[in-house]
Amino acid sequence: MRAAPHAALLRRDAARERLALAGLSVPALLLVGATMILPVGWLFVLSFLDDSGAPSLANYRRLLARPAYARILFATFEISILTTALCIVLGYLLAYALAQLPRRWAALGMLGVLMPFWTSILVRTYAWLVLLQRDGVINVWGMRLGLWHAPLALVYNLPGTLIGLVHIMLPFLVLPAYGAMRAVQRDHLRAAASLGATPVQVFWRVFFPLTLPGVAAGALIVFILCLGSFVTPAVLGGGKVLMAANAVASDVELFFNWGAASALGAVLLVLTFALLFLATRLVRLERLFGSEAP
Amino acid sequence: MQRRSLLGTAIAAAALPLGARRARAAEELTVVSWGGAFQDAQSKALFQPAAKALGITVKEETYSGLAELRLRAKSGAVTWDVVSSGSGTSARAGVEGLLEKLDYHVIDVKDFIPGTYADYYIGGDAFATVAAWNTKTYGQAGPQSWADFWDAKKFPGTRAYRNTVTLEPALMADGVPPDQVYAVLSAPGGIDRAIRKMQELKPHVAVWWSSGAQSAQLMKDGAVDMVAGWNGRFDDARKSGAQVAYTFNQALLDYDCFVVPKGAPHRDLAMRFVAEISKPEYQAALTRYITYGPTNRRAYDIGAIPADYAATLPSAPANTAKELLIDDGWYMKYTQQAAQAYQDMMTQ
Amino acid sequence: MTAGRSLPITVRQVGKRYGDLRALDDVDLDVRSGEFLTLLGPSGSGKTTLLMVLAGFARPDHGSIRFGENEVIRLPPHRRDVGVVFQSYALFPHMSVAGNIGFPLRLRKVPRAEIARRVEQALDLVQLSGLGGRRVDALSGGQRQRVALARAVVFAPRILLMDEPLSALDKQLREHMQIELRSLHARLGMTTICVTHDQREALTMSDRVAVIDRGRIMQIDTPRALYERPANRFVAGFVGQSFFLPVTRHGGAVHLDGCALRIAGPVPEGAAHLLLRPERLRILAAPEDGLNLLRGTVMSLAYQGESVLVQVVLAGGARIAVRTGAAASALPAEGAAVLLGLAPEDTVLLADAAA
Repeated sequence: MRAAPHAALLRRDAARERLALAGLSVPALLLVGATMILPVGWLFVLSFLDDSGAPSLANYRRLLARPAYARILFATFEISILTTALCIVLGYLLAYALAQLPRRWAALGMLGVLMPFWTSILVRTYAWLVLLQRDGVINVWGMRLGLWHAPLALVYNLPGTLIGLVHIMLPFLVLPAYGAMRAVQRDHLRAAASLGATPVQVFWRVFFPLTLPGVAAGALIVFILCLGSFVTPAVLGGGKVLMAANAVASDVELFFNWGAASALGAVLLVLTFALLFLATRLVRLERLFGSEAP
Repeated sequence: MQRRSLLGTAIAAAALPLGARRARAAEELTVVSWGGAFQDAQSKALFQPAAKALGITVKEETYSGLAELRLRAKSGAVTWDVVSSGSGTSARAGVEGLLEKLDYHVIDVKDFIPGTYADYYIGGDAFATVAAWNTKTYGQAGPQSWADFWDAKKFPGTRAYRNTVTLEPALMADGVPPDQVYAVLSAPGGIDRAIRKMQELKPHVAVWWSSGAQSAQLMKDGAVDMVAGWNGRFDDARKSGAQVAYTFNQALLDYDCFVVPKGAPHRDLAMRFVAEISKPEYQAALTRYITYGPTNRRAYDIGAIPADYAATLPSAPANTAKELLIDDGWYMKYTQQAAQAYQDMMTQ
Repeated sequence: MTAGRSLPITVRQVGKRYGDLRALDDVDLDVRSGEFLTLLGPSGSGKTTLLMVLAGFARPDHGSIRFGENEVIRLPPHRRDVGVVFQSYALFPHMSVAGNIGFPLRLRKVPRAEIARRVEQALDLVQLSGLGGRRVDALSGGQRQRVALARAVVFAPRILLMDEPLSALDKQLREHMQIELRSLHARLGMTTICVTHDQREALTMSDRVAVIDRGRIMQIDTPRALYERPANRFVAGFVGQSFFLPVTRHGGAVHLDGCALRIAGPVPEGAAHLLLRPERLRILAAPEDGLNLLRGTVMSLAYQGESVLVQVVLAGGARIAVRTGAAASALPAEGAAVLLGLAPEDTVLLADAAA
């Protein structure tokens, strides 16, 4: 009996092709490994060593013993969540407005949204100082126009930090949200209307859910970036808004070894994963029991 | 036999340029500082003239702080010969074993302000943490002591204060005489007492500043009414139009210093270089670029600094009498403890 | 048709311009209650625009649209109570099949149990029982089409609009669904307007077909009338395969290539053309009485399965085609002379357009 012609050779060709494709991802894997996993892993290990390099939980005990760390972590999440929430509201409205415009105008508007990307984060942050501080543009004009009579504390506090962070993070939400909105088919909205949905119902029951994945992606990026923000809280927070990155920086200077700062980083990482895990669970539950399922 | 001689020739050939390179490299010193206007001044007044005097070349680099020095020392990749650093930082680096002992047979410190040099570091210039005020708010009658700085009734307005451990003013505001401050701080409960006093000030602190540039900017912008900060920064701010005045009364006299990292490639030359830039004429020259005073008191005596200008420098004898010299020994011992208490206070 | 389940539609002078383009040119249209009417036309003819205007998605420049007695031209879509089936189906991907079908009922605040019952009923109607829990993206094209249909009728609208509902399906399924839509319509009885560019689909499904071109309704008639007695050359050309041959008049008689034609139907005034349909011509072995006879030469044969299309050049030089059975014995050879017969009742004259 004769074997089917070329079967083995064709199989080998297929295997070779798969291998070549896998090979293409090797540089990326190596890069990620070298630039992400190794250093993070190294810091993680360091966090379990004491000053003399012996294994120890001293760094974590210090995190627990000192109330400042809990407060810093709390503030970090508080600010990140607030910023993300503000970005969702503002970014969604902005993306919605852009998505309603003719594409050419939308592109121009998007350019405006992306403008902050071309400016250094430090410049942007100091620009906010010029606007927000006691003798800044907003206070001067607000008082000149008689809107308020004593300078408002717009900066060197939590609101100032939030303003600065929201400004910086907004594009990260607007981009995916805008993309999701442009991808919504007009027929879906028309179908909803023809089925009896008022414009408000069309928005909440069809448009919004359809754009939610884009918003969620953007919100996730914003949240993660916020957790690591350093310059903005340092400048616009006036030293009163202490976030994890700022504490890591001061710990690096303060302690002999990297472990102290690494421990804080490790805790932040673990808490973030925990929170995201929780968030995905909540979203899934919402899908299960969501109002649109019968 | 023949082969071996061939090999020997090859080694000799390879070694020759190597040796030549080494000989040339011995004349180049790597000097590291914080960059910016400060390093520009150092370069013009100290580094380049000293290089010329010693017949060497100086390669200048910048760095970000103790952590970077620590990292380099620990990884054994020390390429720096002389590093400009803060006094407290230098003291701690010395304790951590990151520094070479300075060779005071080579470096002449007989005219230095006592306490501005130690085993591992030597002061290069002196500055003061002063109470500065916005003259738009208080005119010339600003706070004359830390007690005034703390007194929100007598001086209503917002304050800015450093975001890292600065406890001496708190104790002085609490009535501790300047010469007792470090004794109290070193005694049990001393840090807590200072922290409690800080908590009194905290509601009036609008900004905890993190860089000298920021403290000056705050005054320039009129963002706060009072700042506890470095005198040189306020002089700069005033030159660019800020309405700011300050007093040397109860000021903390601090100094920047030079250190030689452990394992510096050219340790001996580094010592000679440090000796050179510690001479009074160099220190006097530095004051032409920046309003930090010399640590070598002879710099005031050689006629290189005009008398009226000398009076505005933090290390002028008339001013030092009113000031409290920073105690690096205390910082070495208590920085970690105090910094943690300080951070707890700030986040409360 | 049951009154109450359907409404007549009256369209008067509805116009819509897009810049210089007249998408709808003063359209008048009467759709009877319970009727299945198809709007047929080439792309860009305005048929979809008319449907969008009826659904309320596009705002016309002027005109009147009445559903029954109610003027609806200014009503927003959600208040028109019209079921719409979209070419893309427009199923909501964030809802299950049952979620999609129940959507209009939830909007109408129908009680939960009632919704479940009616959704099940609707699924039953489109033969998708038990698939309510499926995700929309787990369905085949045909199944999606049915879900879209079920969703459009579940709230018992008295008017159903369909925009190219079958165009995304493959040919076999499409033909099957044409029959099914027809029977569904018979059961539900709602006035139905369907847009298509596929003339066979239009003829198969509709009670009447309105042929639209350049924003105007060219003819509205039953499928048979449309095919047999097209009002003009456009309709004749768009519905079915046609050839047009110029005819001459000699007194009361009409001549083609010098021979008088026997014509059963009406004869228009003025210049006209003879409409020839390939399947209405017969290849004759010998002349037969009672038929109009045409002579020509076979150019080529195209085998098409159920039939063979024979390309013929007539004696006068016109090229036409004749459809004939595929039985090999009856086929003429290429290059052979053929005699073609055309019954008088199939001999249709179309007046040349005046304008």
